[in-house]
Amino acid sequence: MSALKPLARLLVELLREDERRCLLGEDVGNGGMLGLSRAVAEDEQLRARLMPAPLTVNAGVAHAGGLALAGLRPIVVLPSASALLEALPALRELGRLPWRSGEQHDLPVLFVVPNGPGFGIGGEAAESVEATLARVPGLELWAAGRIEELCACLRSAAEFDAEPSSPGASVGPRVLLLPRSVIVRDLIADIDLRAGLDRPLTATLRDGDQATVFAWGDALEPALLAAEACAAGDESSAGYEVRVVDVGRLAPLDEDALVEAASATGKLVIAHSGPRRHGLGAELAALFADRSILHLDAPVLRICGEAEGLVSAHDEVTASPSAAAIADAIARVVHY
Amino acid sequence: MQATAWEPEGVEALLDSKGALADPAAVSGLDLRSFYKQLVAARILDLKLGRLELPMWAPAAGEEAVSVAVGSLVGEEDWVFVGNRDAAVALTRGLPLTEILRQLLGQASAETRGRGLPGSLSSREHKLMGASEALGMNLGLAVGHAHGQRLFSRGRASVAIFGEGLTTTGMFHESLALALAHTAPMVFVCKSQLWPEGAPAEAGLMGDSVAERVRARGMWSRRCDGADAVGVRRAIAAALHRAHDGAGPGLVEVVVTPLAQDPPAERDPVERVRRLLDSRGEWTQPFQDVTEAEIHGQLDKAIAEVSQ
Repeated sequence: MSALKPLARLLVELLREDERRCLLGEDVGNGGMLGLSRAVAEDEQLRARLMPAPLTVNAGVAHAGGLALAGLRPIVVLPSASALLEALPALRELGRLPWRSGEQHDLPVLFVVPNGPGFGIGGEAAESVEATLARVPGLELWAAGRIEELCACLRSAAEFDAEPSSPGASVGPRVLLLPRSVIVRDLIADIDLRAGLDRPLTATLRDGDQATVFAWGDALEPALLAAEACAAGDESSAGYEVRVVDVGRLAPLDEDALVEAASATGKLVIAHSGPRRHGLGAELAALFADRSILHLDAPVLRICGEAEGLVSAHDEVTASPSAAAIADAIARVVHY
Repeated sequence: MQATAWEPEGVEALLDSKGALADPAAVSGLDLRSFYKQLVAARILDLKLGRLELPMWAPAAGEEAVSVAVGSLVGEEDWVFVGNRDAAVALTRGLPLTEILRQLLGQASAETRGRGLPGSLSSREHKLMGASEALGMNLGLAVGHAHGQRLFSRGRASVAIFGEGLTTTGMFHESLALALAHTAPMVFVCKSQLWPEGAPAEAGLMGDSVAERVRARGMWSRRCDGADAVGVRRAIAAALHRAHDGAGPGLVEVVVTPLAQDPPAERDPVERVRRLLDSRGEWTQPFQDVTEAEIHGQLDKAIAEVSQ
């Protein structure tokens, strides 16, 4: 069973629990392109809050904002994160509106979008677009990573009643990126649909003192595998422990937590899908240069996709960093 | 009467250029003198705000019929998504003059904390949503809002006011499609500028009828003359009635004549209602003076208060 099924069941639970929630998107009446809305569509009592949208993604995003202004909590399921780039004017409007109104309005809209390589289609459907989305003022950008945490991430992301990022600030729209290569994978573990994320979004997933690896999305699992390989060691050298941090929230960054994790070891590797150039890894590296410089004992290495532009279907695997490449980078900073 | 370049085509006229009513029943139940006072207040508000030399200020003189009709006809629970020439909507809806001034002056003590767009007003309490930066985005937001209003209860509507320049954007057409798809209780109010010497390319439409184009795509629409405040009021009331009644979205196109174009006196909506009052023996110069002095006084007091 792929992770899409429990995600679809979770959407039913979320709509049942809060009648302000509604589900929007292309073809959501038929389950949507990913089948994420199928379980909702089959539930008679939820059909009124299932809102299939015409093929107008820009107006559709603005529409979701209007629904939120009227008191609803729309969950928008789009077939691709790149659809949000098509709707960038509307997305920017949603991000700005709470600020521009003088915090008179909240806009609790959640966009759930597949991101990065994994469907084997290539081109835009393999693109990692987080660097563009992270620049939208007022937008919260969440990246789910591990398959067993996808549902918990969705539940937490749909919850807008948590404390605001700063006192007196209103609630803005949120994007949850689901890594394509992860959501199509088989999910073996039993998932408790009632559980949200039991940790901060930005958190250490594995502890170690020799180096820190920062990753998110589908780079998280290779990063954890690399850390495991480093701990195991090989014939020629003993193993060593490295810390692995899930960045989790890409905008706004939890800078204090990230800097703390960087300063603790002073040897840093940043791993993410998509091109290295203008990627969010550069933002993290700059953050550490600003705030952890006195702790750094090696160059900050970024391990990303190999291609600088788009990748074709047969090359999708090169759009993500491999565990071997990450392990190699860890060895380089540890032995620097 | 000979048609001139100053007469818009295809409009339903109620109040002609001499101030004569085509249908006397059209004003039954309407207190014409207080209606006139609202128009005068809207005009003086615009003239006085213009003198504050605000950045990017766009004058709205000549468009009072729209502001007063929307501001006075919307229901308690209706929201109005305004543009940057709709200060008089806020005035008619009861937003205090001091708050209007604080927002327009960009003061931090305003409800918007001084962050609103130039000329635009936003107030949760008075159900006004300020203009958006990206072209046409307020239309998409308004349609979504109207859709949400319908889900919560019947009898509520959302109104968006915009200029004809937006009708060439994709968002305008997408918003129409969504409003129709969701039977949203939505009233689009399009202010089309009259171009007596032919529309420039920037106008996008070359002077054609937005109402007709909208009707062609299956939406209820009316085209009326902005110089005819009674006709504008009737058309907007009809659109609101339909929306409140669950009949779906509608568009009212109002052909406005900016006073900045120096049009003939009968193109002035305030003057036309004055002529109507005069013909009924309800207008006197002292009445005019008192009406003007009242709004001038209120504005001067408010300006002094926010300038402290």
